[in-house]
Amino acid sequence: MGFLKVEDLKVHFPIKGGLFGRTLDYVRAVDGVSFTLEKGKTYGLVGESGSGKSTTGRAIIGLNHVTSGKVYFEDKEITGETKAKSDFRKDIQMIFQDPYSSLNPKKRVIDLVAEPIRNFEKLTRKEERIRVQELLELVGLNPESILKYPHEFSGGQRQRIGIARAIALKPKLIIADEPVSALDVSVQAQVLNFMKEIQDELDLTYLFISHDLGVIKHMCDHIGIMYKGRYVEEGSAKEIFENPQHIYTKRLVAAIPDIDPRKREEMKQFRAEVNTEYEQSYNDYFNEEGLAYGLKPISDTHLVALPEKG
Amino acid sequence: MWKFSVRRILIMIPQLFVLSLLIFVLAKMMPGDALSGQIDPNIDPERIEELRIEMGWYDPWHEQYASWVGGVMKGDFGMSFRFKMPVTELIGQRIVNSFWLSVATLILTYLIAIPLGITSGRYNDTFRDQLITGYSYVGFATPLFIFALVMLWIFGFQLQWFPTSGSVEPGMQPGTFDYFMSKFYHLLLPALSMALITTFSTILYLRNEIIDTKQKDFILLARSKGASESRVYNQHIFRNSLLPIAAFFGFEITGLIGGSIFIENIFGYPGMGQLLIESISLRDFSVVTATTLLFGVASILGALISDIILSLVDPRIRIK
Amino acid sequence: MEANTTNVEIKTKEVIKSPSGFSVVGRELIKDKLALISLIFLIGITAFVYGTALFLDQDEIVRVDLFSIYEPPGEEFILGTDYGGRDVFGQLIIGTRNSLSIAILVTLMTGIIGILYGLISGYFGGHVDNIMMRILDFFLILPFTMIVIAFVAIVPKYGVWTFSLIMTAFLWMQIARLVRSKALAEKELDYIQAARTLGTTNFKIMFRHLLPNVSSIIIVTMTLNLAANIGLESGLSFLGFGFPESTPSLGTLLSYARNPQTLEYRWWIWVPASLMILLLMLAVNNVGTALRRAVDARQRRG
Repeated sequence: MGFLKVEDLKVHFPIKGGLFGRTLDYVRAVDGVSFTLEKGKTYGLVGESGSGKSTTGRAIIGLNHVTSGKVYFEDKEITGETKAKSDFRKDIQMIFQDPYSSLNPKKRVIDLVAEPIRNFEKLTRKEERIRVQELLELVGLNPESILKYPHEFSGGQRQRIGIARAIALKPKLIIADEPVSALDVSVQAQVLNFMKEIQDELDLTYLFISHDLGVIKHMCDHIGIMYKGRYVEEGSAKEIFENPQHIYTKRLVAAIPDIDPRKREEMKQFRAEVNTEYEQSYNDYFNEEGLAYGLKPISDTHLVALPEKG
Repeated sequence: MWKFSVRRILIMIPQLFVLSLLIFVLAKMMPGDALSGQIDPNIDPERIEELRIEMGWYDPWHEQYASWVGGVMKGDFGMSFRFKMPVTELIGQRIVNSFWLSVATLILTYLIAIPLGITSGRYNDTFRDQLITGYSYVGFATPLFIFALVMLWIFGFQLQWFPTSGSVEPGMQPGTFDYFMSKFYHLLLPALSMALITTFSTILYLRNEIIDTKQKDFILLARSKGASESRVYNQHIFRNSLLPIAAFFGFEITGLIGGSIFIENIFGYPGMGQLLIESISLRDFSVVTATTLLFGVASILGALISDIILSLVDPRIRIK
Repeated sequence: MEANTTNVEIKTKEVIKSPSGFSVVGRELIKDKLALISLIFLIGITAFVYGTALFLDQDEIVRVDLFSIYEPPGEEFILGTDYGGRDVFGQLIIGTRNSLSIAILVTLMTGIIGILYGLISGYFGGHVDNIMMRILDFFLILPFTMIVIAFVAIVPKYGVWTFSLIMTAFLWMQIARLVRSKALAEKELDYIQAARTLGTTNFKIMFRHLLPNVSSIIIVTMTLNLAANIGLESGLSFLGFGFPESTPSLGTLLSYARNPQTLEYRWWIWVPASLMILLLMLAVNNVGTALRRAVDARQRRG
């Protein structure tokens, strides 16, 4: 069995209305998602906003209520576990998108970083202080700054504080929910490279959620593409980028900006082609409701959402 | 609109139920019962015991509650042992007085609040505005009963412009013009005292509402189209700001009840508030229960009316 | 590049965030001379009243002395005497102390209940919030004066503590609603979600994360409530449903004015107490509004 296994995960949010506030319908944010993560690898979850990628990540760690489906971590079921002191809390951590709102503005750095340590370990003040300073040093911040408040740091530095806090308990899996999309482009690469460094150092596994295929390409070994709560395609990075099968994936891949100005015309033409193909064959790839079909394997690792007829 | 109103009325039912339950429990905790009002030393205590059993004094509480609610629905609140008359009749006299006092207070409140609020909002941060906000600030910090005492002292006793107690001159013929004038005259000082204090919240609300509205785009548009300043205020701003004010009058009922308890006691005005205090000190508990229940129901109905009017005025509330 | 953006960011942050805390409150108080005077007045009067009360014997003051009934102010009694020949000045001191004490007590108790109720309702949300808000709405509709009077009338063992408990029972809703709405907004922020993923318990999240972030608004509201509670207590005592006569409050002194004779001819009994209530309420309100301006940057004077 895998390291993290998600089986037919569904997260539905009720729409209330009517005279007594009955549930009229559901928003199917995540509608039957399954995938497996291997230890030490980075798995990328890609999609537009509203595709359910973040909800998937939050449901795994217990921030969103799971409607149905199962989540296993190291062969133990952790579905919908909301208890604060559950065992897996130490092993699975999260990095949030917005480094401004994810740090309590009223707390000092030492309290922010020490929060998970205080929850799970009994350390003396001094030991705790040393641990926090080590962590700060590890993420490339000045260990002297433990008494500062979050607003005294830049966005990139704040995200490093967020990472320091996430790795404080030496977790095995980190769910990174758009960890760099709130940052300046100039800082993004720094943080991403740094995340790769600590992955090797601490033997981490990442579930990397992003809408930016460029970032995903840089980071991930395996990729899942989501559209309206469902998977459209899953495969290794090579398969997705070099041999996309689903029209939606093709269009996403075609949209990745190319830095080489000489290829600009070529790219433009290519995109136009893909767009035409997308419009023409839309009905072949999506059902009447505009949702993706079930996944069909086309190789050992490569799965594509195609209709029954094939 | 209808959906909201129906839902709002449905919410009211448990509220009324809990209120009746609360007051029933209060009534049960009060010493004495309906019979203590008629206790005659000549009646044999055993006969009283029999009467009590007959009247269901020892029935289980839910049966007692049911029969009490049944009675209340039919307008039967029992007997007042002090006044030796049915509570309903006693309240009937007082409630009319309280009703007119409330109406007069509301009218005066709005008569004061609307011109002051508009002036204050239209000419905000001028000297006039500062005077008006200063007044509402002091009004906010002054307890009603102290203000009423001072008013009574100055206008009732020192200047003797107004009567100092009662609701009508004794010996007047009901129905005559003089009777009506006398009632009005007795009403004026208490109503004015209450209105001058309670009006501050309406003034401030109207002021803020107008200041908000006058920066909105549709007002700027009206101005840019060349509408005169007075037209902008009368046609656009005033109309937009007044509706929420009107809607608040239901909520004012709760405030009026609290206020009337003080006002009626200070001015010796025979209304429900005075009756409540009187009957508590005379330990006339069937009257206490009845007045408390009526006050409570009035508040619940007031909140209902305000909520429904507000939902008409402001569609955002309906979504909630 | 990095250093550059850092500088810019720190600068913009500084405009929004710092100066924080006490320095803002202090500056606001100095800007607002009225609030400063109010604060000094409050500190002075509190110190004076509590200090003097140490040397006054409450039983001595409330003892009836039939030989000196309704004495006007003079040599022996600075503010005259009441219908029981009791020294009005002494009663004023003791009354102010008692009124202040109970107002503070009730404010603190309503604050604690309101904060707990609001935090639980706002943090858990959903059905819990729904039911809790229905209950709160019901309490909010009840006419306060009436319901407190009804309760005071039937409580068998009546004293200062029962009175403050009854007042508290019907005054906690404002704080609760305020804290709840703040908590509802705040808990959606990522730092609360982050705390959950870090294994922080709900209890700790509520008190260590949420509470500090809503504390400033709580302090402002509680200050303004303190003023209101002084008024409410004296009003109830005025009607005869507050403090027992053996423990005079400012309202007790005012209640003597319910006798028309006293109101018309013996001003020394009720006017000083009225002024005291007015001054206390105005002063506390002034401080409260200054605090509110300090907390709410939009209303700040400078």
